[in-house]
Amino acid sequence: MICLLCQTKKYESDTLLQVLGLKKVLERPICDDCNNQFAAIFTSCKGCGRHQGNNQLCTDCVRWQIDGKRLLQHRALYQYNDAMKLFMQRYKFYGEYAIRHVFNRKLKDLVKSRDTDMVVPIPVSYHTLMTRGFNQTIGLFENVRLTDLLVTIKSSKQRQSKFSRYDRLNREQFFMIENKTAVIGKDITLVDDVYTTGMTLYHAADILYQAGAKNVKSCSLAR
Amino acid sequence: MDRYYGRQIVVPKIDAITAGLKIRPCFINDVCQRCGQINHYILPNQQFYCKACFILGRVSSLDVMLSLPEPNHFSNQVELTWKGQLTKQQNRVSNALLKTFSKNGEHLVWAVTGAGKTEMMFPLIYMALKQSKRVAIVSPRVDVIVELAPRIQEAFMNTDLAVLYGDQNEAYQYTPLVLATTHQMLNFRAAFDLMIIDEVDSFPYAGNQMLEYGVEKARKQLSTLIYLTATPTKKLRKKSNAGLIATSYLPLRFHQNLLPEIVTKTINDWRKKLPTKCLKQLQTFYKNQQRFLIFVPKVADTKTLCKVIKSHIPEMKGDFVSASDDLRQEKVESMRQENIQYLVTTTILERGVTFPGIDVIIFGAEEDTFTENALVQIAGRVGRSKERPTGLVQAYVQHINFKILAAQRQIKSMNKKGRMLKNQL
Repeated sequence: MICLLCQTKKYESDTLLQVLGLKKVLERPICDDCNNQFAAIFTSCKGCGRHQGNNQLCTDCVRWQIDGKRLLQHRALYQYNDAMKLFMQRYKFYGEYAIRHVFNRKLKDLVKSRDTDMVVPIPVSYHTLMTRGFNQTIGLFENVRLTDLLVTIKSSKQRQSKFSRYDRLNREQFFMIENKTAVIGKDITLVDDVYTTGMTLYHAADILYQAGAKNVKSCSLAR
Repeated sequence: MDRYYGRQIVVPKIDAITAGLKIRPCFINDVCQRCGQINHYILPNQQFYCKACFILGRVSSLDVMLSLPEPNHFSNQVELTWKGQLTKQQNRVSNALLKTFSKNGEHLVWAVTGAGKTEMMFPLIYMALKQSKRVAIVSPRVDVIVELAPRIQEAFMNTDLAVLYGDQNEAYQYTPLVLATTHQMLNFRAAFDLMIIDEVDSFPYAGNQMLEYGVEKARKQLSTLIYLTATPTKKLRKKSNAGLIATSYLPLRFHQNLLPEIVTKTINDWRKKLPTKCLKQLQTFYKNQQRFLIFVPKVADTKTLCKVIKSHIPEMKGDFVSASDDLRQEKVESMRQENIQYLVTTTILERGVTFPGIDVIIFGAEEDTFTENALVQIAGRVGRSKERPTGLVQAYVQHINFKILAAQRQIKSMNKKGRMLKNQL
């Protein structure tokens, strides 16, 4: 096996159960050394999936409730630590599309566990699509059946990560639904690559609720 | 604008492009125009990017390349501030190089380690700069580039020098003299009139089509190409023997002494327990304050062996370094500054680096990491100063193999030629 992230060759041996064919042999995309650098989220805020000691609502989520939002019950796989930051940098800003497979299987399981009618990815702007060449969310959730309902309104050239929290919270709606009838009365899971302030996902949820969605949850790779 | 001269810079098609620049497609017939390879990774919407040269920044079918032809806008007010003297043999090689330069030819300089290859280049570089030509000195090894930079700058104090390699923060500037790793040549196009490749036979350049293409593309059609090495590859040796490339041979070091030979000693498994023989040797080094390098086959060995040595002789200052080390340059620098007495390293320091008056120990010399040429190069780290022209090259092996014998034979045959040359003087 060659690790997708560090490109070194690693040998792994099957366990007895795997040799006997009693357990499925799963090809792992990355080596243990790389895998251990990512910090999984175990207990988290039930509103936004933030890693914390208990599953109570965090202050951010309380604030969202005060703002009159229905909480997204967000779930994420990993904390946004240095390793994840580096992964995102390679994947999104250097455009290394090949490493989208690293978390494919786990993300598929995560989406499956949410058990909703449809899965909607957050879109990227036309400019991003023409420079990066791909939508990072669709890449990460490649083997999940996605319904690409949303489109961006403004082709805003600046990237999210260049905004401060205040800037992000005060931006106007930047999504639009192409086919409004498709969402009426549906249970929807929104998927994104990283949940930072939650602004992007709440904007998307707003517009889905407006179009008549019954319930909107969300999940992402990192939080 | 001058940052586009002789370069090719990748930008997205959709971005605004400054008027007056030459725009080239990134792929012609599916061949990447930066690295000359066909190695696509598919993106959505029938787009793709080149996997081969991804490390230098992505080139995709969504991008174009911008460039301007090299105009050679340099002053010819050049001064050679190097005040050293070439030996008689060095002078002979240097003159041969000047002759090749006047014919825009190719030339192989096959000189033993420590023959003073860099110094022999100075008259040639001076001549080229004086004619307002653009000069590149490249090497596959970062360490070689880092060590060469101050020496070249010192020799041409009044000339601007750009030093380019992977993880460095300085922005690119248009200069007549460029010192770079071979990878950086992929970003150039028909820029150089004189290209000098140091340590051509080393990894990753030797046998790497992408880098060979990059170097070929970075130089002008009418230009001079000089190969420098102590241990040419078979391919180069064949080319030289067939007379297809002008060759200068120099079997004597600059201080007219012979190469130190590799001494072998058999030991038990050194990864389990440091053998007494080695410990005794290390203690002698400590007593004499003799500085030394230890070469090990694997990156993982550097840390463990350094720890073991520290547990035995804690007073002796030392460190370990490998390619994946963030503090790589700093550690090598502290060895150079004589802050530490020894450095445990992998083959990254096998060539191109000079620590005057050191000795060398090789652990596990029989393992595959150390090729014949690598061993010859490692032996060449020793005796590189006039004050201490000899030294110890101790190879600890669990068993001897052909490769070690071949390395010893290669050194002996060079010494034989060197001795003959010495007798003629």
